[in-house]
Amino acid sequence: MNPLVYYQTVAVLLLGLGFYALVSRRTLVGMLIGVELMLNGAGLSIVAAAQLTPADAVLGQLGALLVMGLAAAEATLVLAIVLVVSKRFGNADADSPRELRG
Amino acid sequence: MARWNYISALGHIAFAFYALISLVGGGLAVTSRSLVRAMVGLVISLFGVAGLYLLLLAEFVALMQVLIYVGAVSVLIFFAIMLTRASADGGEAAGPGQRGILRAIPAFLLTILLVIMLGVYGVTGADTPKNVPVAALGAGLLGPYTLPFELISVVLLAAIAGAVLLAFEKRGTH
Repeated sequence: MNPLVYYQTVAVLLLGLGFYALVSRRTLVGMLIGVELMLNGAGLSIVAAAQLTPADAVLGQLGALLVMGLAAAEATLVLAIVLVVSKRFGNADADSPRELRG
Repeated sequence: MARWNYISALGHIAFAFYALISLVGGGLAVTSRSLVRAMVGLVISLFGVAGLYLLLLAEFVALMQVLIYVGAVSVLIFFAIMLTRASADGGEAAGPGQRGILRAIPAFLLTILLVIMLGVYGVTGADTPKNVPVAALGAGLLGPYTLPFELISVVLLAAIAGAVLLAFEKRGTH
């Protein structure tokens, strides 16, 4: 076992925790928390792979920063969607919006 | 490594500490019955991952992790919890339920499969991380990686515009 495998194991466990939250939570906000955990695992995996192998370290760190920017944009959009859903249905349950009719 | 190395042992202890923080925080975030507590668990987990970034000598990424995730994203999630006008627990008091447990089986299987594959096929990396100065990151952003840097700003602008458009309340509809 070497350090890279340890870091990747932590990243995979974060991915699994986020996936579990994504499929088992009832509300949209709980699912958003799961997605953030998964994106964190992705960033950790990218940085560990770039810092501990002969790959380009600058590319890896900038890739992790890109993931963070995308996570921020995604959280902003999900906040707006949660607002719309809760305004229309009275709660933010993931099962509330069942129909695609406007 | 033939001889016991104190610095290496300290590194292992620090890694175990930060990994434990991030995983315990993540567990709190996914199992808590209250959404506010889940968000606090997420913040704990984000701090743990920031510590792991520090151990990887990516101090700029660690700083950005605290600034962007802990400072901005968790505040956004807290706004989402507050603005949904749900009960204090945010609608998670009933727990995942039988269907939630059933749907979680693929998540467990995927995680176990990936961990086993890491143990079997994990590549050997270096023992110590590379030390990249922040100036090299800035030169990378202004040199070969200018296009992603500009694109992420366009994505953020589109996200802001889309969020405002979605949350905008038309006059006279309510």
